[in-house]
Amino acid sequence: MSDRPDIPPDDSARAAEYVLGLLPVQEAREMRAELGQNAALRAEVLAWERRFADIAENEVEPVTPPAGVEAQIMAHLFREERRPWWQRFGLGQVVGVAGLAAIVALGVLFYSNLTQPLLVPEYTAQIVGEGDSLILSAALDADTGELLITRDIGTVTTGRAQELWLIAGEAAPVSLGLLAEDTETVLNVPQDLAARFEGGVLAVSDEPPGGSPTGAPTGAVLAVGEVNTI
Amino acid sequence: MTARTDLETLMARLVLKDREAFRALFSATSAKLFGVCLRVLKDRGEAEDALQEVYVKIWNRADRYSSTGHSPMTWLITVARNHAIDRLRARRADSDIGDPDLVLSDPAPGPEARAIAAAEARRISECFGELEQARADAVRGAYFEGASYAALAERFDVPLNTMKTWLRRSLMTLKDCLSR
Repeated sequence: MSDRPDIPPDDSARAAEYVLGLLPVQEAREMRAELGQNAALRAEVLAWERRFADIAENEVEPVTPPAGVEAQIMAHLFREERRPWWQRFGLGQVVGVAGLAAIVALGVLFYSNLTQPLLVPEYTAQIVGEGDSLILSAALDADTGELLITRDIGTVTTGRAQELWLIAGEAAPVSLGLLAEDTETVLNVPQDLAARFEGGVLAVSDEPPGGSPTGAPTGAVLAVGEVNTI
Repeated sequence: MTARTDLETLMARLVLKDREAFRALFSATSAKLFGVCLRVLKDRGEAEDALQEVYVKIWNRADRYSSTGHSPMTWLITVARNHAIDRLRARRADSDIGDPDLVLSDPAPGPEARAIAAAEARRISECFGELEQARADAVRGAYFEGASYAALAERFDVPLNTMKTWLRRSLMTLKDCLSR
């Protein structure tokens, strides 16, 4: 260890505070900028990460997570193969439409009393937050007004709510409802609103429990996505 | 726990987006990382959510691992701890630190880093034992609970500046002990 260049104690302490998250926001920001220039400081930050991780490795007891967690992670990451049909559009629309037509035809043949008819969604959107911290897929079936939102990445902060908004043209955002904490949320969109999806934008805002008290977004915009027409 | 070399092989395969390697890594490491999430968040449901997000990050950012010079477990624990702390601070509106500013640094690896890491890992418990109980607890509070200086000062009933001096001294004692 003597071969490692010595770093002034103040810098070492600052590196430790940075790793622990004890530095005020501004100082942490400056520190991060400095890390790009200062190799010794960078090495010290990494050394502290190791020292603290060693504490965790020694002191934290392993706890086997419930089996469902692994399944959910795998479904999250590797869902392409079994992605629902409304998300496959765009990859091979022609095949998709032809295949879908065949499925519908089969469905009609074999299940004459389908409770949920397979209808093609007219509008889809990927609603993405900064740094991909929140990613949602939305698909609207304009005939039924059913809007399906799938939570691909991100969660709802405890004690807060996420509200979905349609921004059509110059008009003020219109609330479409609150997003569930689950993977899927289904919202019912009234006909007059569904008609305004084309060329619109969907946005998710952070709101108090129960949603915006004012009818307009009050919290930070967490994610935004343009509506695509199929 | 799988031996370190096995985990290193898995990490290398992860960079190539090898799904089997990811599954194997999950079964070898998820109990430890779930333990870390639980220790930080103290809520099973939230720890489960955090664990999911942690493994999504691990999959997406595996390419950053090698540039840190960390052992696989050090890198995985750091990702898990930082993510759990992020969640904890997002939940806690009373934090005086403001937004969490914890990102993984990805600088160039030091060549001797791995050898040093292995030597230090063996000694960390011993050196932690050399600290006074309250001071060791303050370091744990900062690492596992994301406690701010203000929160620590309140908990240990000392003025803010005393807390800062305390913690910094404890950290230096720890470092000195590790490099003896």
